[in-house]
Amino acid sequence: MLQFKLVLLGDSSVGKSSIVHRFVKDSFDEFRESTIGAAFLSQTLKLEKHEDVTIKFEIWDTAGQERYKSLAPMYYRNANAALVVYDVTQPGSLVKAQSWVDELKHKVGDQDLVICLVGNKLDLCEDNDTVRQVDMGDAQIYAQEQKLLFHEVSAKTGAGVAQIFQEIGEKVYERKATESAASTAHQSRKPLNVELQRPSTNDSTSCCV
Amino acid sequence: MQAERRKSMAERRPSTLNRSSFSAERTGSAQVVPHLAGIEDPLPNSTPEKVDVVLVGTGLVESILAAALSWQGSSVLQIDANSYYGDTSATLTIDQLNQWVQEVNRGQSKCYDNAKLHISGLMGRGSYKSRDFGIDLSPKILFAKSDLLSILLKSRVHQYLEFQSLSSFHTYENDSFERLTNTKQEIFTNPSLPLMTKRNLMKFIKFVLDWTNQPEIWDAYKDKPVASFLVEKFKLERAQVYELIFSIGLCYNIDVKTPEALQRIRRYLTSFDVYGPFPVLYSKYGGPGELSQGFCRSAAVAGATYKLNESMISYNPDSRIAVFSDGSKVSVTEKVVIAPTQCPKNSGNVPEQKYEVQRLTCVVDKTCSEWFTEGENAAVVVFPPDSLKSGNRQAVQVLIMGSGSDVCPAGTSVWYLSTTESGVRGEMDLDAALGALEESIMRESSADPENDQGILEVDNQGHMTLNSVKLGQSFKEHSQREKLQVLVKLYFKQFTSTPPFEVVDPSIFDVDGAPNGKLIPGASDNGVIYTALPSAEISYDEAITAARLLFQKIVGSDDDFFDLDFEDQDDDVQMDESAVIDDDDVEKMNMNLGSEMSVEPVEFAGEMEI
Repeated sequence: MLQFKLVLLGDSSVGKSSIVHRFVKDSFDEFRESTIGAAFLSQTLKLEKHEDVTIKFEIWDTAGQERYKSLAPMYYRNANAALVVYDVTQPGSLVKAQSWVDELKHKVGDQDLVICLVGNKLDLCEDNDTVRQVDMGDAQIYAQEQKLLFHEVSAKTGAGVAQIFQEIGEKVYERKATESAASTAHQSRKPLNVELQRPSTNDSTSCCV
Repeated sequence: MQAERRKSMAERRPSTLNRSSFSAERTGSAQVVPHLAGIEDPLPNSTPEKVDVVLVGTGLVESILAAALSWQGSSVLQIDANSYYGDTSATLTIDQLNQWVQEVNRGQSKCYDNAKLHISGLMGRGSYKSRDFGIDLSPKILFAKSDLLSILLKSRVHQYLEFQSLSSFHTYENDSFERLTNTKQEIFTNPSLPLMTKRNLMKFIKFVLDWTNQPEIWDAYKDKPVASFLVEKFKLERAQVYELIFSIGLCYNIDVKTPEALQRIRRYLTSFDVYGPFPVLYSKYGGPGELSQGFCRSAAVAGATYKLNESMISYNPDSRIAVFSDGSKVSVTEKVVIAPTQCPKNSGNVPEQKYEVQRLTCVVDKTCSEWFTEGENAAVVVFPPDSLKSGNRQAVQVLIMGSGSDVCPAGTSVWYLSTTESGVRGEMDLDAALGALEESIMRESSADPENDQGILEVDNQGHMTLNSVKLGQSFKEHSQREKLQVLVKLYFKQFTSTPPFEVVDPSIFDVDGAPNGKLIPGASDNGVIYTALPSAEISYDEAITAARLLFQKIVGSDDDFFDLDFEDQDDDVQMDESAVIDDDDVEKMNMNLGSEMSVEPVEFAGEMEI
């Protein structure tokens, strides 16, 4: 199964974790869900546009390390996708989101990265639109300029959440597909990583067994 | 006035398990961390006003400690004065390295001295980017059977990291590189070894795996250098003795005592074939700097708060208030732990850092694949005492990292040289070792392709091995045709309170800063605990012992030290711990039990198998 690393970014308390929580919880009955301990969340997703394709997201939460701009390089490394979240009721949280987009492009390089701008807490505006402080049009224009995916969602009601992951999933999958088609011609022999949870047990060259 | 004994934190502080609504009462077995741990509850937005432990510095030991404390249930604030994680264990870009050198030379740090950095003009001409490099301040290798490895698995921190194997260990002798003969198979098939030597080596290897149970063999040598033991008891030749002591044992000098050396030789041999035909691993993208980041992230997932670019101004042991550079204050319930590199101004309690480690780190424009085993990206080269033109008394150890480890761009490699020799002699030894490496790589990489046959050998199973014995042999026959381009050259001296140890002993990490009641008037750091800088040891063997010792000091017991069991439905990673322990393992555990050198509790011995 193809695996993709997805990182969350955005100011504290815009609801980054809630979005993931909603995504994982809603999918719980439908697809296999698993956490790999406290490392990151894994969630499989069946792509709607591509029949019989299931991908796996490794979802990395900031774990609060974004609060004092203390995210480590490890967090950004080899990320395939990023959710940059703002709060539609928080004036200025879009500006913060924009600075995270800049940070991402600086740290990762956007040719490899699918970035999705997400306005959260849509539920708060449903009854009373005066609560909304970030104009949807402004965010959309910015997203288009920066070539980002864009959605407004509510983690609370679940509105729009599944679509985000569908769209990101399709995009990262398509990129991977084109990429691997292009690179099969001269596949260089890359050294294999050692899987620490899989010790070898019966090697004949053993010197000590 | 001493109040009545406070309950230890282990008694007062419920572990994560008990606080969690998911789980039943603690039964003494490892706690089960629930699903979605760390992602379940959004963290509070405000700066904490009160924490159990403040950790100053994000070096590897402090970061392991942060994760251990956080998962135990303590609230932790960990800060670092730098803009990056890792402190003394950091992995730095070239720009960060440049800045680091300037700070060392500007500051009054008693931890580093005499930092010299040369960056080649080639670096500035756009061929290489600063962030393409990850240079470790204290590079380390990870033995496949070690307590850090078992904690990496237990904490799941290994999932943030990528590991690669290292099987090439070279000893430099008579101006050439000898590749280590380190497996039974190689010993049997190596045509250059006389039959008698083979037999003796095999006999020794069999003995050393179980050496603690055979004191009658080595008892007479327990205070004598291991070299005499190997020669007199096992009739080994000088070349094998040097390989065993310096490449396999990675000892610092020829005076190493028999039991210590045996323990270190055994470390290598028992690590061999745990994951494959190699004894050692390293993390991609950088060593201890990567591991620090991983443990900090783990701590953050368990609730620790992180602030970079923040330093401590002072701590008052009476009011238990710590004051920071951004003006914030925090009330500390338990302890303040500080890395010596990040001590507050007007500190008076920093332990003496009397041991020197000298390091020379170079980035060169050679792949150095000649030194690596096929499919690998790193090698260890050891210059035993008296093998260099400088007449070195201590070994010079070198870790070579190729671009496949992602610490440098394609076509380059990083050479980490280090020695425990002090003063000017140390610098001369490092220079001499660098010269020898340079001559060797220029000779090897400029060899004619026609002469390459014999360098790459294919054995009867189709395995290809690089024969650097042949590569190195003809040293004097070749003249140097071109000069090696050194892109970056960094020299510095590092101090530590940890001696260059032969075997991990908790007492060497016991740095009790301020003995009870003795406060220094006016000092900004009364009542804090200081950690130790990384030692000269090339492996990670000190990290867990040092962190565990600090944990025990703070919590009052080490029962909860990474006493974790992550709930897991993923078959890929689920392992039944009891199922993988077979008779063999029990035997090994018993051997550890019986070993007076073994300082880690027995529980680790079993878990290493996972």
